[in-house]
This record gives sequence, C-alpha cells and structure tokens, in this order.
Amino acid sequence: MKIKKSDLCLCLVVVLLILLFSCKKQEQVRSGLKIVVLSPEVGEIIASLGATDLLVGRTQECDYPEELLKVPVVGDFGAINREKVIALKPDLVFTSALEQDAIAQELQKVGIKVQQIYPKKLDDLPVIIRQIGDLIGKGQEASALSDSIATAIAEVRIKSANIFHPRVYVEIYRNPLMSVSDESFVGDVIESAGGDNIFSKLERDYARVDPEDVILAKPDIIICYSQDTLEGISSRKGWSNIPAVKNKRIYFEKDINPDLIQQATPRTVQGLRLLYAIFSEQMKK
Amino acid sequence: MKKEHWLILILILIFFALATLYLFIGNVSKEIVIQVRLPRMILTIFTGLTLAGIGSVYQLMLVNPLAEPYILGISSGSAFGAILFGVLGLTLLMPVGGFIGAVLTLIIVWRLAQKKGSFDRSRLLIAGVIVGMFFSAGISLIMYLFQKDTMIILGTLMGNLGHIFTENEWHFFLFLFAISIIILGRLYFRSTALDIMSGGDIYAGSVGIDVQKVRKELFLLTSILVGITVSYAGIIGFVGLIIPHIVRFFIPSGQKKIFLYSLITGGIFLLCCDLIAKNIAVIELPVGIITSAVGCPFFIWLLLKK
Repeated sequence: MKIKKSDLCLCLVVVLLILLFSCKKQEQVRSGLKIVVLSPEVGEIIASLGATDLLVGRTQECDYPEELLKVPVVGDFGAINREKVIALKPDLVFTSALEQDAIAQELQKVGIKVQQIYPKKLDDLPVIIRQIGDLIGKGQEASALSDSIATAIAEVRIKSANIFHPRVYVEIYRNPLMSVSDESFVGDVIESAGGDNIFSKLERDYARVDPEDVILAKPDIIICYSQDTLEGISSRKGWSNIPAVKNKRIYFEKDINPDLIQQATPRTVQGLRLLYAIFSEQMKK
Repeated sequence: MKKEHWLILILILIFFALATLYLFIGNVSKEIVIQVRLPRMILTIFTGLTLAGIGSVYQLMLVNPLAEPYILGISSGSAFGAILFGVLGLTLLMPVGGFIGAVLTLIIVWRLAQKKGSFDRSRLLIAGVIVGMFFSAGISLIMYLFQKDTMIILGTLMGNLGHIFTENEWHFFLFLFAISIIILGRLYFRSTALDIMSGGDIYAGSVGIDVQKVRKELFLLTSILVGITVSYAGIIGFVGLIIPHIVRFFIPSGQKKIFLYSLITGGIFLLCCDLIAKNIAVIELPVGIITSAVGCPFFIWLLLKK
C-alpha cells in the first residue's frame, strides 16, 4: 500500500510539472518560437515567409531554399530520429500526412504540439500558407503571399481554359509502371495548367497502371520522372505510335523540376506557368 | 498409357484456351497484342515453367518436400541486386543488378557448401538458407532507408510480370530464353541420375554416378535460371513449391515425367494466375498474392480427395 501511495504522488508531481511546462510554452508563443519541420513543403513556405530563424530542426529532404541547410537535421522523411526531435524541445512540429502519421502521434503523446499539413489540391496552397503564417506569427506576410499565389493560380486557370487540352501522361515509376490521378496534387496542377491527365481516376493518388492503357490513351505529352530516357521510352515495345513519342514531346526532370509541380510551395506557381507554356505550345502546332 | 495421353491433351487444350483469353481479352488492337501482351505472356509462361521445374529438381536433390526454387538464397541475392539498382535510380538496369546479385550469391553459397572437396547436400541447403536470410535482411534495410521507393521494392518482392521491355532488351531476353530452354533440356536428361541420387549418395556412387559433379552441375544450372526469372519477374512464391507436389498426385514416381509435367503445369498455372491478377480488380494485383490464393484451396482439395 505504501509503495502505491508514493507512486501516486510521483505521478501527480509529473503531471503537475508537465502542466507547468506546457503553460510556460504557451506564454513563449510569439517571440522565440522553436519549430521543427519534417515536411519539405512547409519548410519552403516558412523560409519564404522569412521565418527560417525560427527553425531548430528539419529533415534531410527539407533542402530548399539553401538557407534551410544551416538548420540541424533530425532524420529522413520516413525515418525520423524521435529523440533528436524531443531533445530540441520544439514548441511546434510540422509534419506531413501518411508516412508521418505515426511520428505525429508519438510526439503528441509526449506533449509536443504537432501540426499536420497535407495539401491535396492546388486550392489548398493559399489556405495552408495562411494557416502556417498564423501559427508562426507571420500572419501579415502570409496573407500577402497567399493572395498573390491565389491570383497567379486563377490567372493561369483562366488562360488555360481557352487552349486545346493535350492529353498528358505522368510517369512516376517505370518498374512497375506508376502514374498519378486527378485527385493527386500533381494531377490537379496539370489539369489547372490546361492538360488532360489520361488517368483521371485511379484507386489511389499514386497508383500502378497498365502499359496497355497508356498506349490506348494516346497521350500527346509525357512527363517522365522515372529516370528513363527519350531513347528508352521511344524503344519500348508498342510505344512507338504514341503521339508524344512520335513528336518527341517527352519532358524529364531537367525540363520540369519535379519539386515545382509535386509539392505545394510558392514555387508551384512557376511550375504551373511552365506547364501552361508547354501545353499551349501544343495548340500552336 | 491411355490415361496419360488424355492428361496431355487436356493440358494442351487448357493452355490454348488460356493463351487466347490472355491475348485477346477486352478490346485490343493488333499492336497491343503483339507488342505488349505477347512479350508478357512469354515472360509469364517462362517464369512459371522454370519455377515449377526447378522446384521438382530441388525437392528431389535436397530430399526435402519443402524445397522450392528460392530456398538456396539465389533469389534473395538477385532481388537485393535489382532493388539496390532500383532505389539508386538505375531503374533501367534493374535486371542487370539482379544478375549481378544472383552470380554473387551463387559464388558465396558454392564456397560455403564445399567442404574438403565434397559438395554436401545438407551443407548446401544450410548455406543457401543462411545466405538468403542475409540478403533478405539487406532488402529490409533498403526498404527502411528508402521508404519512398516502396513500390519498386514491393514490385520485386511480390512478383511483377509487367516488365516493360525495350526492343533491345527484348532481343536479349529472347537470347536468355533460348539458353534457358537448353538448360531445362539438360536438367531433363539429368532426371534419372537425380532419381538414383535421392536414394543416398553411397548408393548412387555405387552405380557409377559422380554425385558431387551432378550436384554441382544441377546447382549451377538451376541458379542461372532462378537468377534470370527473378531479374525479370521478381519473386513469385508458391509455384515452385506446390506445382511439383500437385504433379506427383497424378504421377507418383519417375523424375523425368514429373519434371516435364511440372514444366507444363507451372506455365499454365502462372498464366492463369496472371490473367486473374490483371483482370479481377480495377487495380492490377501482385501475381504472388494470386498464386497462393488460387493454389492453396486447390491443393487442400487435392489433399482431402486423395
């Protein structure tokens, strides 16, 4: 019985301490906020809001813009060193969804404030920028940036509505063949820039596809992120009659940086404009 | 004799029915049939017959009913090589990575299995299993480190018959295919020796078989075949384990016939499974799941019936 009492006391003390510390943290918000960012998208947005100095930790993948490289690394996107994150005593941790669900829950359990940011659509981009801005005390900058991005997106959408919509196939992996659906962020960016994604519906945002379907869909443009080459795709069995292959309208990482269209960041506007330029070129031909 | 003729006839009929269905199901153009489906069908049949054939050889050679083509570690080494190339961005060279992995594993297992010049059966089995486990751990490590490339890894580990061939690659594959047929022919003619060896090394030696030599030859030849199949189709379980057993239900003894029927049945079985994998759901399922899902109930039914 005695032991149990002392245990109870200990527990109480711990709980009180946690409460005390958590109160203290909330007071700290506004001034010296300590942030750990596990999502490259959020890292880039924070940097573009001029708040890089608030960051105390990042993942290996949060490497743009260059100023983020000074921030200490706490692991890879999928393999985060929990102890390092906890030792940094962050006031706020930004995570992405899916793969980082587990770590988000674990950090929440030890009383760290976690914010998941997972933009699924292009229209989410201005929203998350505001949200992040409010959380890190950069509300004004964020709303300005958010407005300019929303305007830029609307502009491209209006322009692209009037062009001929080329059929677009995005290849993420080659073995097995994988592409994106309209539900994915890339898919939405492509549709907004005036392209017509050949796999509008898939079981998941990123899913396995049948090469037969690609051949049947006759895409006008191929965006290839699967490390294949022009010669490689042209010599695939049965692919030689695809319009994109015939006309050599295949674009690779060197033509369109994947980060510009796969991630929701201020740079997405660049990617959107780049894609629009590529798609509208088709119409002239 | 008559019953056997019927068996062959039925198998051939099933094969043609499946092949026609496989090639022409859905609305397809001539181009897709010839350029996409035919290569895939050849790869599928080749993989199925090779795995089942090797399974029947291994079960007798290692005197172990649980032996299957992947038991001697070659597959893990090959998959490790292919996956490593894949995650490092050399997607086009994944089959090459597979070959390198297979050859490397072959050399290691070969060395471990040797003991003072003798090539012992149980030593070979243990060496193969251990080396296989080692490379499996390597695959797990890659999986952990490169979580974003899960699809490449799963594609290899669960079997992927949808390999996209370029024209050159296809010609090279046909060359390997031709070599494999010669190797399978050689294995067929080693069946009698294998039958005798299953009665024990001493007995086989006494009737004039160079046991060490035959075993080394069989290990080398089958390893080459496993390396080729894993490099192009990944690891497809179940076929190599169960098909020889199913064949033995109908043909209890005589490795020559068992081997031959395993080849035919294996090819047909995998073709059937791939047909299901491609068409049962909206999304193409990994064929390795179908082989077990279809094969297990069938095998249970056979067990209960006989």
